[in-house]
Amino acid sequence: MKTSHLLLAIAGVAALLLFPIGIDNPYYIHLLETIMIYAILLFGLDIVVGYTGQVSLGHAGLFGLGAYAAGVLVFKLSAPFWITVPFAILFTAGFGALLALPALRVSGPYLAMVTLAFGTIIQILINEMDFLTDGPMGIKLEKPMLFGHKLDDREYYWVVALLMVLALVVVHRILRSHLGRAFEALRGSPVASDCMGVSVYRYKVYAFVISAGFAGLAGCLYAYSEQYISPNSYNFELTVLFLLAVIMGGRKSRIGAMLGATIIVLLPKLLDDVVLFRYVSVALAVLVLATAVVAVRRQRATPAQMAIPVVGSIALAGLAFWLDAMTDWRLSIFGVIMLFVIYYLQDGIVGFVQKALNLRPPVATVAAADVDAASADAVSTAAPGGGGEDVLEASGVLMQFGGLKALNNVDLRIRRGTIHGLIGPNGSGKSTMMNVLTGIYVPTAGAIAFGGRSLVGRTAADIALSGIARTFQNVQLFGEMTALQNVQVGLHHSFASNLLDVAVSTPRYRRESAAAVQRGLGLLKFVGLESFATEEARNLPYGKQRLLEIARALALDPQLLLLDEPAAGLTAPDIKELLAIIRKIREHGVTVILIEHHMDVVMSMCDTVSVLDFGQKIAEGEPAKVQADEKVIEAYLGGST
Amino acid sequence: MAFRFKLLALTSALALSTAAFAADPIKIGVDGPFTGGSSSMGVSMRDGVRLATEEINKSGGVLGRQIQLVERDDEAKNERGVQIAQEFVNKEKVVAAVGYINTGVALASQRFFQDAKIPVLNNVATGSVITHQFDKDPDNYVFRNAAHDSIQAPMIVEEAITRRGYKKVAILADSTNYGQLGREDLERALKNKGITPVAVEKFNIKDVDMTAQLLKSKEAGAEAVLTYGIGPELAQIANGMTKLGWKVPIIGSWTLAMANFIDNAGPGGDGARMPQTFIQEPTTPKRKAFIDAFLAKFKPKNNRMDSPVSAAQGYDSVYLLAAAMKQAGSTDGPKVKAALEDLQAPVDGVVTTYNKPFTKTDHDAITANIPVFGEVKAGRVVFANPDDQKSAGTVRMKDVAANDALLKN
Amino acid sequence: MQILTQLIFSGIALGMIYAVIAFGYQLTFATSDTLNFGQGNALMLGAMVGLTLVNFGLNYWLMIPLVCLFGAFQGAVVERIAVRPAIKIKSEFGWIMSTIALGIIFTNVAENVWGRDDLKFPSPLPESPLHFLGANVLPMEILVVIGALLMMLAVELFNRRSIYGKAVVATFNDRDAAKLMGINTGLVITFSYALSSMTAAFAGVLIAPLTLTGASMGAVLGLKAFAVAIIGGLTSGMGIVVGGIILGIAETTTGFYLSTGYKDVPGLVLLLIVLAIRPSGLFGKAAIKKV
Repeated sequence: MKTSHLLLAIAGVAALLLFPIGIDNPYYIHLLETIMIYAILLFGLDIVVGYTGQVSLGHAGLFGLGAYAAGVLVFKLSAPFWITVPFAILFTAGFGALLALPALRVSGPYLAMVTLAFGTIIQILINEMDFLTDGPMGIKLEKPMLFGHKLDDREYYWVVALLMVLALVVVHRILRSHLGRAFEALRGSPVASDCMGVSVYRYKVYAFVISAGFAGLAGCLYAYSEQYISPNSYNFELTVLFLLAVIMGGRKSRIGAMLGATIIVLLPKLLDDVVLFRYVSVALAVLVLATAVVAVRRQRATPAQMAIPVVGSIALAGLAFWLDAMTDWRLSIFGVIMLFVIYYLQDGIVGFVQKALNLRPPVATVAAADVDAASADAVSTAAPGGGGEDVLEASGVLMQFGGLKALNNVDLRIRRGTIHGLIGPNGSGKSTMMNVLTGIYVPTAGAIAFGGRSLVGRTAADIALSGIARTFQNVQLFGEMTALQNVQVGLHHSFASNLLDVAVSTPRYRRESAAAVQRGLGLLKFVGLESFATEEARNLPYGKQRLLEIARALALDPQLLLLDEPAAGLTAPDIKELLAIIRKIREHGVTVILIEHHMDVVMSMCDTVSVLDFGQKIAEGEPAKVQADEKVIEAYLGGST
Repeated sequence: MAFRFKLLALTSALALSTAAFAADPIKIGVDGPFTGGSSSMGVSMRDGVRLATEEINKSGGVLGRQIQLVERDDEAKNERGVQIAQEFVNKEKVVAAVGYINTGVALASQRFFQDAKIPVLNNVATGSVITHQFDKDPDNYVFRNAAHDSIQAPMIVEEAITRRGYKKVAILADSTNYGQLGREDLERALKNKGITPVAVEKFNIKDVDMTAQLLKSKEAGAEAVLTYGIGPELAQIANGMTKLGWKVPIIGSWTLAMANFIDNAGPGGDGARMPQTFIQEPTTPKRKAFIDAFLAKFKPKNNRMDSPVSAAQGYDSVYLLAAAMKQAGSTDGPKVKAALEDLQAPVDGVVTTYNKPFTKTDHDAITANIPVFGEVKAGRVVFANPDDQKSAGTVRMKDVAANDALLKN
Repeated sequence: MQILTQLIFSGIALGMIYAVIAFGYQLTFATSDTLNFGQGNALMLGAMVGLTLVNFGLNYWLMIPLVCLFGAFQGAVVERIAVRPAIKIKSEFGWIMSTIALGIIFTNVAENVWGRDDLKFPSPLPESPLHFLGANVLPMEILVVIGALLMMLAVELFNRRSIYGKAVVATFNDRDAAKLMGINTGLVITFSYALSSMTAAFAGVLIAPLTLTGASMGAVLGLKAFAVAIIGGLTSGMGIVVGGIILGIAETTTGFYLSTGYKDVPGLVLLLIVLAIRPSGLFGKAAIKKV
């Protein structure tokens, strides 16, 4: 971490800890405490919403679970602090798993509604199971005892502050690790993620469970902080507030989470007190105006773009002076703020400020020394593996969509160490074959054997991890991640470290992390992209993107590499580069299946060529022979009738 | 209302800037549900409080200082009450608090005032245990001028069992502290008369369909339904009965007088009976003055107060506090508390004339002889018993013996 | 036995309400892959506007078409403000948040305009129950069932017979192709939202006489209707009716035999189970996504 950042962080933590000494008013201490507790929850929620891009409407329910887990333990068993905290975390995480496992099989609106239903069920259960929770009458708690000493307001504040800093560090580490990359990958391109061995489903569940754990911690601390919990508090309004906090503060940002927490705690209090709100709204209008002027001056934004935020904040100030009691319109104001943020402030306040002041978010830098040291021969030599000459054998594959047979009884035998071409006119079933081989489609019938095991019915991630890698016809890179990070996703399988390793940063994790950087750079060198290591993938020129995909696929240490039209859209010099790389790949003993339309590529590279037409194999053999085959000519050019 | 606020603020500001002596306002916190199902009670209470405050301020305030109300909406949520209480004590630094409509909110919030030695005058919440929450402490800062449930429940039982002669009754209570504690009070009072309810059912706030509970009560052969809940749900009970074609008398706690019960239950609510400390009829000059002033200032629809009891008790609570402060000569918590416990001069209130309403051990100003039974009729609450109406001109004053008599009966 | 019949009848009436609202979800999902998270609000606003009109002296039956018009307008507004811009900025699930945001704005505005109390909606039919097979059924409940079925039938016929209906189906099947064929897909999507809110508003005035009308009446109904849509299948009209009836009866029986507090639970649990085992719903068709 940069020195200036470290100093700032230390100053921040110091200020946080010194606050209750400077301001000894229990009301304000409690306020800041609540902000910190919400921040802990938001760190976790950001993983789900900001990184994996899922909308969860149930985090208020998870928060309530954490609070009640602690509350019931204290109420019924007088359990001590050092038991309630871990129990709350694990209990809520467990519930998170229970919810995520069925819910994340589907995406998008389904998850949102399911989590909404879940939040409602939790409220009902807490309300009804009064033998456990005392129902609507709620549970009263005292501040916890630590080492035989009952914590007072200030001491508890310090405990919460400490836990928040810890949570921040842990989240930061998780998101910097291979886990964080997996989360971003599954959002960037779910298909590519699966095919790189990172199971989208599994990691969505992980993300949700981790966030549930954080919510549980926050809930537990909240119970002790409020000293009274009741089922009513964990309702839809709270969940909306949490979401608002994440998107308004700024996704993928710890500061954004803390900023968001501050806003959602202070805003209702602000709305309660009309006089104070008037001052604040005027200050806000002035601030927005100032930022707008700066942004337009630096040509970061046009006046038209800035018009709505400026007009909006001035209108809000005007409304504050006109209305009598803002608190009745509280929810409308939240709603309007939310709409505003969704349309104009998509990167949140943090993102807005960064853009307006031209601050780039920190990018993981790579030391030049590392780049030099990386071995250009990072592609592992494919092990001969078990079995004979055939690395893959597919027989009688049938892929049927409704009435259409995309693949009709296709046999395919790929010999080890060869480059096997797969050609045919558009719609002949080539890509379908690819998708079947990599597990994206489950074949309607037929058998496929690879490495002594059947591929049929296995998930894409599973197949990828067993040695089949691929590239895509339409480039499926993780656009917002750097080239190196893209390759590192392919290297995900090399990490044996689990969550605990990452959180605590064990030697094993640090070793694996360093190795992944080295190996990743080496793979980039292999395709000649090492100088682009820290460039965002979406900024690379098209040709380089295709090469990056290959590097990423090679990270899987595959025995079989499927290239889906790798030369599509490439210029002649790029194609030459591509061919050289494919030859290098073959030299390492990796078998290649090549789908291509560029006949010169096919002819010069392939050892064997199979031809598909209307889902059936119509020819197979050496390139020259196939090229001269009448049936092939007819398929491409049409019959003489 | 907004105008009044600005006037109040302006007045205090003027007072501040011109007076040579420190004339800063006396801050009194007002906590109640101004939104949600209980809001008719909260808003009426708040309006009663505002009316009293305005009158007192107009005639010079208390100890030469104006009263400034700090109002917060607890939305009938216990945890909101907790937060508001902390805000009142630590941020707003009020010298006293009035309010609390919902028993649960009161029970959750009062300890902050108790710890800070700030007197709280509950003017509507009726849970019996409210004024006894801190019996174990040497000093109790919680007072009340509402008819608590250990009076109401026996009154309800008396009406149902003794006067109307029912033997089989069903209890329908909501799941909040109010409903459940009230249910316990009802069961205790019934046991005193040797009766066990044939059905005891529970429902949640916001519940709309009472069919299950009513069916069970009907199957058990109930002749009357005793209720402890608030307006909207009580209305659904009445509507549910109509739907089932099962019409038995509804006798319950004072909340059956709520506007949203009467309006939503329609004709099905007619005949419901409940104890009331105040019925909106000008039976004495003081009451007439109060009603006229209230209607003129707040202009409720059809000239009907949403919750007459809340308004009257809210009004009275401010006058009681003001009297105690005048007597103590200060706004210091312990001194005001001591003054309340030993009020020398009677306070002329709407509900009753308060003559030594509190003692060190008795913090409830209302006894069993003060409330009468009201009945819902044609969209309003009227005297159920014509004798009560005739004798309403005479103010009933606190009589501790009446409590004992009721419980022994 | 009487009680069971009573519960079943109440359950069917309740379920039909869920079905009508769920139908609205289907309509928008079919054309735009989006749902209106504020669908419950459309119902609530329909009921509130209907109540205001009726209080002004308008006859209940005349009020219905006016409320339907209002509902259609409200749906169009939702689409314009919340959905279209979100799709335009290519925010993946921005429309979820924006429909939620618009939903809470509507609720809050309703609270301030009509007050937070629940109000009584005068019933157009006599309130005394009819006796049928030993159970009591309110005439209004029968109206609800008939009204719901008629509405869904009308929309289905529209979809299958008229040219506008065909445009809707075309947009459902392939938005880009439909565009290329000259169909104004934007208008189709707006139309489907309008239709969806209209059915919800209609449902609102149907059930308002049976329950209390208030600013918060829509929220839970919207959620349960979603459960019905999922249970029945987001692509099947028949599934929604069946799903609605299942949910309605499950609720009334749980409420009676278990405890009224738990009556909302079966629907939500059923939702989770269906999603876990058969995400396309009981009657829906599983779609294979082509890569």
